[in-house]
Amino acid sequence: MPKIPVAKLEAGMKLAKPVVGKNGMVMLGEGTELSETWVERIRDMDIASVFIDGPPIQAIPREEALANLETRFAAVEGKPHMNLIKKIVKEHIEGLYE
Amino acid sequence: MSNIDSKVLRYKVENINTLPTVPGVLKRLSVIIEKPRITLVEISAFISNDPALTTKVLKMVNSAIYGFPGRIASVSHATMLLGLNVIKGLLLGVSVFELMQKTMNGLYEHSLACAIASRVIAQKKGLKEPEEISVAGLLHDIGKVILLLEFPKEYETAMNEAQAKGISIYEAERIQFNATHANVGSWLAEKWRFPKNLIEVIEFHHRPTLSKNAPMETAIVHFADMLVRARAFGFAGENMVPEINPVAYEMLKLSETDIKDVLNEMEDNMDSAEDIS
Repeated sequence: MPKIPVAKLEAGMKLAKPVVGKNGMVMLGEGTELSETWVERIRDMDIASVFIDGPPIQAIPREEALANLETRFAAVEGKPHMNLIKKIVKEHIEGLYE
Repeated sequence: MSNIDSKVLRYKVENINTLPTVPGVLKRLSVIIEKPRITLVEISAFISNDPALTTKVLKMVNSAIYGFPGRIASVSHATMLLGLNVIKGLLLGVSVFELMQKTMNGLYEHSLACAIASRVIAQKKGLKEPEEISVAGLLHDIGKVILLLEFPKEYETAMNEAQAKGISIYEAERIQFNATHANVGSWLAEKWRFPKNLIEVIEFHHRPTLSKNAPMETAIVHFADMLVRARAFGFAGENMVPEINPVAYEMLKLSETDIKDVLNEMEDNMDSAEDIS
């Protein structure tokens, strides 16, 4: 369920969460398939992003994410339990890209 | 070395209402929550009188941080359900939200993820009040906000030092201020009359074995903090994963599956939780 900035919305996308106006009123319900008109209306509202159905989009490429993980863990390498935790987090991050 | 006396620092923090850099909302809130005999009705009225605050509180209560099934539509319902201590913490959480974003980019995401992780671990361990642990996770780094507001230059030096020397921000703070965000946070929590358990979690989340009254709660937030950094949600001062305290690890006895569940729960909920603003 990725959060997509309104500028990148396209017709045919499906809302994973309702679009809610500033006063808390639901403007478009969950599951609505966006038409050109809806996309325009959403852009006219003061909203930064909306939730769209589909697999999440990762901000950085897989290799970069895994390299960053190595850097973060460098100082605790070999410390009690840290190798296991690193392994679990690594598998988790790899899972995000499948 | 530091030129800040920790006694002076503590005095300043305890007189937060007179700090020029602290915004009005937080000052008003501070006056309300430090009243010794505040009632649920009073606090409910305080929230309801402020429409913006009401919206924020309801969004927060209905978010993944607490994980209630169904929807909570009114402030009075929320206060009844959560109780005084959780509501106090939650009010503070929504109020420091903007401050966190202004002072340290990523600190709010870090705190949110930590709140979610703490709640999930608390539920796995069968603790009675997982919401209280959420609040502890949400507020564990509140001391950083105050340090950043009052000493922006010195804090930047501390962050640069941490980066340059490869030490944790916790260590860098100690060099810079003779105290850490954990101390500052606990002084505030005491002043605000938070429950003893919450004060201890904030004070000892880097040294969980020192907690006398809330060792389990402290261990949970200590673990959650580490796991959030391992997954790199948000930013808390530097980009290093801290070492887990082995005693805390043994106390929690989380299985590999448990840890994976916590990660997945954070993953599923971070996007929508960030929407609380």
